[in-house]
Amino acid sequence: MSSRVASHVPYVYIAPAALITLAGLLYPIVEATKLSFFDWGMGTPWESARFVGFEAFASVLSNPHVWTSVGITMAFVLISICVEMTLGIGLALLLEKPVRGMRIFRTIFVLPMMVAPICVGLVWRYIFDAQFGPLNHFLTSIGLAPQLWLADPLLAFLAIVVTDVWQWTAFVFIMVLAALQGVDASVTEASRIDGANTWQQIWLVKLPIIKPILIVTLLMRMIDGFRGLEVVYVMTFGGPGLSTELLSLHIYKAAFVSQQLGQASVLSILLLAIMTVLSLAILRTGNPLAARRK
Amino acid sequence: MERRDFVKIAGATVFGAGLPFAGITAQDRYAKYRGQTIVINYPAHPHYDQAEKLFAEFTAETGIRIERDKLQYLRMKDRQVLEMGKPGGGDYDVISYVVMWKTEYVAKKLIEPMEPFFANAALADPAWDQRDIITGYWENITLVGGPMGYLPGPGAKPYGVPFGAETSVLGYRADLLQKHNLKPPATYDELLSACRLLKDKEGIGGLTSRGQTGHQVTAAWLMHLAPYGGLVYDSKWRAAFARPEGVRAAEVLREIVEMGPAGIPAYGFGEMQNAFLQGQSAFYLDTLAIFGPAQDPAKSKIAGKIGYAPHPMAARKAGMTGGFGLAIPRNSKNKEAAFLFIQWITSKQSDKKIALSGGNANRWSTVNDADLARKYPIETPVLREALKIADPNWRPLIPEWDHVSQQIIGQALPSIITGKSSAKSALEGVIGPAEDVVRKAGLLT
Repeated sequence: MSSRVASHVPYVYIAPAALITLAGLLYPIVEATKLSFFDWGMGTPWESARFVGFEAFASVLSNPHVWTSVGITMAFVLISICVEMTLGIGLALLLEKPVRGMRIFRTIFVLPMMVAPICVGLVWRYIFDAQFGPLNHFLTSIGLAPQLWLADPLLAFLAIVVTDVWQWTAFVFIMVLAALQGVDASVTEASRIDGANTWQQIWLVKLPIIKPILIVTLLMRMIDGFRGLEVVYVMTFGGPGLSTELLSLHIYKAAFVSQQLGQASVLSILLLAIMTVLSLAILRTGNPLAARRK
Repeated sequence: MERRDFVKIAGATVFGAGLPFAGITAQDRYAKYRGQTIVINYPAHPHYDQAEKLFAEFTAETGIRIERDKLQYLRMKDRQVLEMGKPGGGDYDVISYVVMWKTEYVAKKLIEPMEPFFANAALADPAWDQRDIITGYWENITLVGGPMGYLPGPGAKPYGVPFGAETSVLGYRADLLQKHNLKPPATYDELLSACRLLKDKEGIGGLTSRGQTGHQVTAAWLMHLAPYGGLVYDSKWRAAFARPEGVRAAEVLREIVEMGPAGIPAYGFGEMQNAFLQGQSAFYLDTLAIFGPAQDPAKSKIAGKIGYAPHPMAARKAGMTGGFGLAIPRNSKNKEAAFLFIQWITSKQSDKKIALSGGNANRWSTVNDADLARKYPIETPVLREALKIADPNWRPLIPEWDHVSQQIIGQALPSIITGKSSAKSALEGVIGPAEDVVRKAGLLT
């Protein structure tokens, strides 16, 4: 009897927290799903909402702008994360060992992450300004032609990628640095004695050991990348044309510009579905929790 | 805090008691609302920057306190809709709305009609003269209902009062025009040829323009649509913007972008205005809100070198109407006090004070005032001419306009101005979605 009670005790303890978490997670998703079946204008009573079935789903899924936006978001997330992971890991490996002034380096690297996204957008919008921006001043001073950074579709896309990389490489750097400092020095020392050179130590010893942290970092950056709104909202508002219209901004416009809350909800569900599929794919390559269970 | 308020109220009361007999009626009008606080949501905009300087005077005179909520103008709508949609009462007692939102707010029953307030003898000031408000502004900014839904006609009623309303003017670099022996352009042909000449000879952008995707690029195109004789929808609500007039207006916008300062496709209103004020363009064609900042040396490198002219003519003479109005949310808890504020701040006296300090004139009496002409000798004569051609049907102010402007036409125009598509094909490509919107709204059958 006592052993049966004892086996249930942990569940009883975690039940309140689990229930609250579950409700907090599920409630918005359930509400968004419900909203996607209605045509409801913001500022009007819910009683005036009209049930439209799958009309909003059909409208969203047949809208070429939505798929353009999905494509742009995927490209943005893929390119930014690749660059951020490469730079972040590289910097962490460089600054892993004690060097003079390392504390200052670390602080400087981490600073962009602490700046509010709205400010990041404003600062980079100014930097990329075709008329008054310092970047074009610099290009002119070295004899190169100034560029229409935010007025050209390709350059505007590049600009939001650069801004994201500037802000979030630090996050990858911190995560990887923390992981590297947790690597047992005797393991790397053993590999060195066995004849591994620096590259081999990195590729064959350190990175495999910190793989679970790399997976988590990748996952967090991917989710953040898909949800990112403020910077692109301030820098380009999705333009020129649809060249920087990330899905999160498309959702914002559907909800607050077009006041089509049903369609905005469908788009949110679409975003959630894309993120879930990609997250599961990443976790399949190396689930840190599964690794721990082993 | 309470003690300070008491002193203020006491001061206002003593001041009121000292007024001549005519003032006693006004004091009675405010007496019931003394001590109330009204919350006003308004934009960060040159007109309101001047208007808010009078708030303290209003409180001193009426005893009604003001709490301010100031936002960037395109960000106000989200907040307003959320606040005005609260069934138990929202935070706002007075809102400043952009003209594009008026029919949507009325359709959603978010704002009060103004007639009952003006008909209430206990509240209405007999000296407040509606016919003195600039006609195009009144029709464009306040009226909802009637045959078109947003213009005068049987059934149209006012739901606000113009405050910070605007028309368009052409600003030009007088020094450059004089140097090249050019006269201020009166037609689009003259304007475009002057832009070309100054770009070639001075290396300066021709005409600055908005261009950012969505609302801004649509606003830029509308600036030329009516002068070229175009419409967004015709009288039967068929999409008319891809007809030759609309296509020509888009081609003109592309020429303007090509000859203008660099980066126009990313310009919002601020960047567009700044390009002119920082000497990057020879011309400016947009709202008269330029008057104040243009002569302010802190904001303008070209102060003292500017001239103004009415909106150039193409197929016809037409100037923009737009800007802001003040309205009372239906869920306000202090509607009468809110009305008293609107009536006071839009009175002839306040209008003149605000215009003299650099805000927009909303009344004919202010526009024709000798003091204004003395203080603004360059701007005032042009303003008088510009108002004669202000077109209240500048854009279809239906509740769905924001969506059409930002998500349909505003998505097609960037590909035109960046040279990615021809004006005709890009505009024809969005006829379907634009007609779907009015069909869904029951306007197009």
